[in-house]
Order: sequence, then C-alpha cells, then structure tokens
Amino acid sequence: MLSLATAILAQAASPEVTPATFWLPIGASEQAGNVDLMFNIINYICYFFFVLVVGMMVVFVAKYNAKRGKRIRTDGMTHHTLLELSWSVIPLLICIAIFFFGFRGYVDLITPPKNSYDVNVTAFKWGWQFKYPNGAQSDDLVVPSDRPVRLVMRSNDVLHACYIPAFRVKKDIVPGRVSSLWFQCNIPTGLEAKDGYNLFCAEYCGTGHSNMNRKVLVLPQAEFDAWLTKQAAWLDEILDEELYFKAGPKIYARCSQCHSIDGTEGLGPTWKGIWGRLTTPGGARFSDGKGYSDLIGPGKEFANPEEYIRDSIYTPGKHLVAPYGNVMPTFKGQLNDRGVEAITGMMQHLDEFDAKGAWTKTPPAVQK
Amino acid sequence: MTTIDTPRQDVLDSAAETDNYLTYTRGFLSWILTLDHKRIGVMYMGSVLLSFLVGGTFALLLRTELLTPGRTICSAETYNQFFTLHGAIMVFLVIIPSIPAALGNFVLPIMLGAKDVAFPRLNLFSYFLWLGGAAFTLYSLAAGGFDTGWTFYTPYSTTTTTGGVIPVLIGVFILGFSSIFTGLNFIVTVHKLRPPGMTWFKMPLFLWALYATAIIQVLATPVLAITLCLLIVERVLNIGIFNPSMGGDPVLYQHFFWFYSHPAVYIMIVPAMGIISEIIAVHSHRQIFGYRYIAYSSIAIAMFSFIVWGHHMFTSGQSGLMNTIFSLISFSVAIPSAVKTFNWTMTLYKGTISLTAPMMYALSFLFLFTIGGLTGIHLATLNTDVHLHDTYFVVAHFHYVMMGSALIGMIGGLHHWWPKMTGRMYNEKMACTACIIIFVGFNITFFTQFMLGSQGMPRRYYDYLPEFQVYHVISTIGSYIMAAGFFTSAICFIQSLMSGPKAPSNPWGGVSLEWQCASPPPHDNFKTPPHVGNCYDFSVVHWDEATKNYIIDHKAELAHVTGEGRR
Repeated sequence: MLSLATAILAQAASPEVTPATFWLPIGASEQAGNVDLMFNIINYICYFFFVLVVGMMVVFVAKYNAKRGKRIRTDGMTHHTLLELSWSVIPLLICIAIFFFGFRGYVDLITPPKNSYDVNVTAFKWGWQFKYPNGAQSDDLVVPSDRPVRLVMRSNDVLHACYIPAFRVKKDIVPGRVSSLWFQCNIPTGLEAKDGYNLFCAEYCGTGHSNMNRKVLVLPQAEFDAWLTKQAAWLDEILDEELYFKAGPKIYARCSQCHSIDGTEGLGPTWKGIWGRLTTPGGARFSDGKGYSDLIGPGKEFANPEEYIRDSIYTPGKHLVAPYGNVMPTFKGQLNDRGVEAITGMMQHLDEFDAKGAWTKTPPAVQK
Repeated sequence: MTTIDTPRQDVLDSAAETDNYLTYTRGFLSWILTLDHKRIGVMYMGSVLLSFLVGGTFALLLRTELLTPGRTICSAETYNQFFTLHGAIMVFLVIIPSIPAALGNFVLPIMLGAKDVAFPRLNLFSYFLWLGGAAFTLYSLAAGGFDTGWTFYTPYSTTTTTGGVIPVLIGVFILGFSSIFTGLNFIVTVHKLRPPGMTWFKMPLFLWALYATAIIQVLATPVLAITLCLLIVERVLNIGIFNPSMGGDPVLYQHFFWFYSHPAVYIMIVPAMGIISEIIAVHSHRQIFGYRYIAYSSIAIAMFSFIVWGHHMFTSGQSGLMNTIFSLISFSVAIPSAVKTFNWTMTLYKGTISLTAPMMYALSFLFLFTIGGLTGIHLATLNTDVHLHDTYFVVAHFHYVMMGSALIGMIGGLHHWWPKMTGRMYNEKMACTACIIIFVGFNITFFTQFMLGSQGMPRRYYDYLPEFQVYHVISTIGSYIMAAGFFTSAICFIQSLMSGPKAPSNPWGGVSLEWQCASPPPHDNFKTPPHVGNCYDFSVVHWDEATKNYIIDHKAELAHVTGEGRR
C-alpha cells in the first residue's frame, strides 16, 4: 500500500491534471492526490465489507429459505463471544487507521505554507469579488501557478462556502469572521473561462445560490503579474466617452442577477426606462410613499439623478423602491467612481444594449 | 403457572370475534378522546402516512425540477421552498414520530405485556401536540412558505423575507414537545410496567431500541426547543444571538442545532434497527444472534449520538482540534452499527427463513443500511469530508440512512404488525412486488447521487452545470419508480382494509407477547396475565395449515424456560 501511495503522490506532483474517474472529478492541486488516495482506500474497504455482508445475506437467504410449515430448525448458535469480539475489534482498528490518515491529510489541507500568495475574497448574495494586493479586482479567481495561494474570505451577508472540486478544498465563509483556505495548482489554464476550474458556493444562501459559480484561472507567474497590472488599471485605461459601453456591460454582469434591462421581473426593479422615471415627475414610488421627484432635484436629498444612482449603489437600503425588499448588498469598496460612472452611463443609453447587457452598436471608430 | 396450560388460543380467537380495540367503542369522539395506546398509535400512523404523502410530493416536484439545468417547472424561489418543505416535513412530521410514536405506541405496551403506557393522557396529549405542530407547519405555507432549508441556518433564516419562518419554527417547537412526551412515557412504561417475569434481558430488542430512543428524545429535544426559541427571539425582537451584524455568532447556532439534530438521526434509525431485529428473528424463526450485544449496542449508539454533532461542521470554521476530536469520536458510532449488522446477518444462518413482505423490507434495510453506514466513513474522515461536505454525496448518504434504513424499517414494521393492527392480511405477492419496486427505485435515485456528489456537485442547487445532467435525469427517473412502488404498497394496504382475509393471531410465527394476543388485540390487550418466556425461542412454534396460523406450544416453552434455562 505504501508503494501505491508514493506512486499516486508522485503522479499528483507532476504538472498534469489527474483525469476524472468513475467517482472523482479531475484533480489539479497538490493536495488532490492525497485526498483521492484516501477516498479510494476507503472505497475499497467499503466494497469489501459490503460484499461480505450482502454476500452472506444472499447466501443464507438462498440456503435457509423454507416454506411455511417446514419444521423449524433449532441448531443455530445463539451467540459467539469470539465472533462478537472480532467484528467489533477489527472494524475499530480499521477505523482508527482511517481516522489517523484522514487527520494527517487534513492537517496538510488546513495549514498554508508561509510563502503563500494571498487573495482577498468577498462573498455576497449572490456573487464573488476577488481582490488583489495591488487593488485589482476580478469576478473570476485568477491565481499564479506553482506557488501556494491563500484565500482570505469574508462574507457581506449570510453563510457562503468556497468550494473548488478540482482542488478538493472547501471552506465556509461566515459573516463576522475571516476564514481562509489554501491550495497550490501547478497546471496553468490560461484566461479562457472554458478551461478554468469550477468554483462553487457550497453553503445554501438563497435564490441565487446555484448561480454563485465562477472559474478559477491559473496563470504562470509572469503572465499572472502582467494580468494583475492590467487588471488594476482596466477602468482607467478606458476613454471617458467609451466608459459606458466598454466597462458598463462588464460591471452589469453582476447587477444582472437582480436587475434586468428588458423589463423582466427580478429581485430588484428593472432598469428598463429608469432614466425616464428618474427625470420625470411621478415614476416609481418608494416604500415610504415618496416618489422620485420628492427626493431628486435642487435643494432635495439628491441634487441630480446621477447622485441618486451613486447613493443607491453605495447605501442601497436607504430608499427602497416598492415593493422590493432590502436585499441588495453595498458595493462600496468594490466599485469606484469610474465604475459608477460607467453604470450610470449605461442606464442613460439602455437602448444600445441587448437583454443580456451586450452593447449592440458598432464602436464609433470614426469619431475617435 | 396454571395459566400456561389453558388452551388460550381458543379463548383468544373467540375473544377476537366479540371484542377488540377497534370495536370496543364506536364513533369519532371515541377515537379522538381515546386513551388506548393502540388507537393513538393508529391515529399517529394515519397522520404520519398522510404527511409522508405530502413530503413525498414535494420530493417528486423537486426531482422533476432538476431534470434539466435552469428552469424546468418552477423558479429558484419555489424550488428552494420545495426542498425546505420536503426536508422539514419528512424529518419533523414523518420520520421522527413514525416509529416511536406510531408503531411504538401500538406495539410497546403489548410487547411488554402491559395494558397501556404509563401515562395514557400524556400520550393522547402528545398526539394533539403533534396535530398542533403539523397545523402550524401547514399554516406556514399559507403565510408565505419558508426557504431556509430544514436546518434553519442563521443568518439566512433570520433575514429571509419569506413569511412562514416563524410559524414553522413554532410548529417544530411544538412537535419537539410531542416527541419529548412520547419518550418520557416510554421510559416510565419500560421501567415500571413490566409484568412479573419480564426482566430487562427478556425484553424483545425492539423495546431496547425504543428505550434507547426515548432517552435521546428526552435529553436532546429540549435543546432544539431552546434553539428555536432563540431564533424566534432574534427574528422578532432583533436581539443579536446568531446574527453577526447584531453581535451574534452563526456558528453557535450550528452547534446548538446539531446538538439536537445529530441525536435526532438516531431517534430515526435506532428504533428502525429494533424493528429489523424483530423482523429478522421472527421471519427466520431463529433465536436472534448475540441478543445482549444488539441490546447494548442500541444503548451505546444512543450515548455516542450526543458527542459527535461536530462532524456536521468540519468546514464551518470550527477549530482544527475540535474537528479532529469529533472525527475520532464519530468513528466510534461505526462499531455498534457494525456489531448490529453482523449479528443480523448471522441470525439468518441456519434459520428457517420465510421470504414474507416484512422480511423483504428487512433484507432491503440490511442492504441499504450497509451502504448508508459505510459511506459514513468517507464523511467522518477529515480530509475526504472537506471535499464531500455539502455535496450530493451527503444527500445520498443521509437518504440511505434516513430513508433507505429508517423509513424502510418503518414500512417493514408496518407490514410486520399490520395483521395485528388491523386484523386483516394483505396480498403478500403485491406487497413483495411493491418492496422490490421501491428497492430498485431507491437505489437508482440515490446511488447516482453518490457519484454526483463525489464529482463535485453541491447540494441545494436549483441550477447546475450541464455535465451533471445525466446523473440528475437517472436520479429523477428512479424517484418516479420509487413513487410507483409506494403507490403499489398503498393500494395493497387499502385493498387489505377493504377486503383482506381475517388475520390469525400469529401469522408469522413470532413468540413475543404481541403474537400471543388476538388480532386485533382486545381493548385491555390481555384477557389473562401473559406468560413471559424467551421471546426468541422459535422451537415452541409450529405452523397449523388448517387455521393458517402459528401455534405457540406453551408446554414446550415452559420446559425450555425452566429446564434448560436458555440464554
């Protein structure tokens, strides 16, 4: 068994994805091999005992099956201390052994090496935000390969859990606490989402729970550094007049879970016609009975619609459009002024976008 | 001793003609105000089966929704309510009361040789509490339903906007007291109402199991009540206990919840194990193998059940040391479970096995419990659990234990004691066919879910990646097959009630006391003080073709008891 163990461990260390088996998905982290080995060993123990119990059952039933009225035999044993001892002590020893190896593996699984690269993770209803030391943000988890990565995770609202099956890691994200998990993946995937490893939310968190899945994209260190620099500056690189259609759709991808732009009912009010509602008297009413025109205008709470939008993104619970509930998380710290500007611009030009938020006009190359 | 020589079979049969607990008094009020443990048991059984129909319907709806990724028949909000209701109804209204309150109520006093439970009024009160709890649960549907999952994890449960959360919390709170009172009643009954001769180690194993269960019910359920109260307080009064935004701690809730809900798993499975001990011994007509080991293992499981709750929380942020301790202790549950399984298997050896419907269910139990129990090892082991936690692997595991074992055990028990409860036989072929359909459907439904889970599909997902679809389709088809099986079984029972042949007092050849009184039993259970012998000595029974009944030869029994002093 030891040689088998080393063989499988050696395989896991080589930079190739372990292929999916009947039971397990692809394995792509340093730890995956160990977990899989344990899983498979337990499986074989289970097969053995299953065949033993069910086999005896089938044989005995076949052999001692008798029609009603047949004389009842009385020659069976009523107890056997040695048998009882053996089927308590042997399973006990097996269990202790499994516990011990599971414990060893678990210690490896929860102890991040000192030189790990840290990524800040925020989970919220219903999405993820990955933040990097240089201020860059990403919706997918992009990490460097060949070095340990530690996710430092916080929740904005309820329980979530970060689960990456290919890495065999999972950790609950508890609001009010900071939790962490670590992994090391040596197999780069590139930036194509279809090549990435799945990342799921594994702790039930409501309506959008099953859509909280993202990709883990793994890049070699040099490529990762380049991506990181670019990612930190992506909003700044876009020209002001292009902001709403270049940055807007990317940011809207997160808003789209609750706000439609084609009038479809969602968890939050649709954006369809929002600018018209904001700038004409009447329009939507709030839970407290006020209308837009009571709030927006010179001398009122918001000087102009832009300020109202900005405030709604940063402190969403302040004024609730009836009949929607107070479910939107704040985006303060996640969306800067340029991001808000992009979204506001998008709201003003909704006719240029399709239902999924893609810009439908051709880029105005001539104007540039 | 003189009673032993009385030709009691004749007395009993004539008694059955004139007076039994069903015909003792008549009218709706005579049922709803009855203090007879048998009638209360029957009312519980009817209510539990009705709840099972409701919970099962939700199961079929959610399986149908999962046929395709994305929307199939309903929205995500509706799906979340479906699985929450399915879980809450099946756990709190069906499985927890099914064996102790329904079958146990009927069987325990008769098996023990008592006229009734120790506190008949408390017994009726616990049934009314059950009705009250069920009413609140139903009302929660009208109040907007709830989408918290049956675990009510905070802070989701204290912040969700669905309106039915507080009614269902009150409902479960009340159901908890129903369970506590039943447990209390059984403990006192077993301690105080054993007739002369019924020593602890002469008790049938089902009674040991019910006794172990009752201890858990009395000790663990109050913790649930307190937890639910705190949840209501937090939700209504905004006092921060579990919600971190008000200074609480969500992990504390998980500790409280599992401190009850892990033992609750044993409230479900231990009595089912007791039923299996009875069915396997009676239908193999063979002294149960290792009586004392099975009896002690029930108590051992009940005790261990209190110290393993943390294994539900390996990824929750509980400290590594705690996880290690809970993992180690969790393995200890494997030992008494293994002891029971091997003893049942050995009981088949050199038996005289009748492949009756109850026996088919017992064999199904043995098969399914072996799978359910063994896959527990994957989940008790720390590093594999990190991968499997909150995936379909867990869903499959606990369905194998809670449904494949606890519920199948209950249905097996229902088949076993049906002739005693109703006084009628059912169509054996049809019942066996139903069992096979359920068994096949069950495995198709839930074995695929092991693969789904180990492949990385998280649970409670409305939408899923396309690569998981094939498993979901197979699983859903399995659930339809299973539904067909339960439907067949229901028809079989209804047919039996309408036109089933009269049941003899002892159709299977059991020796424990309930087989010594008429079917259905008289109001006071026993006309004459029952004779307590070795309830697993089947050498004293023989089949009588003329009456289609097993006759217990009490002279032979007496010889065994006094002469050889068996066991």
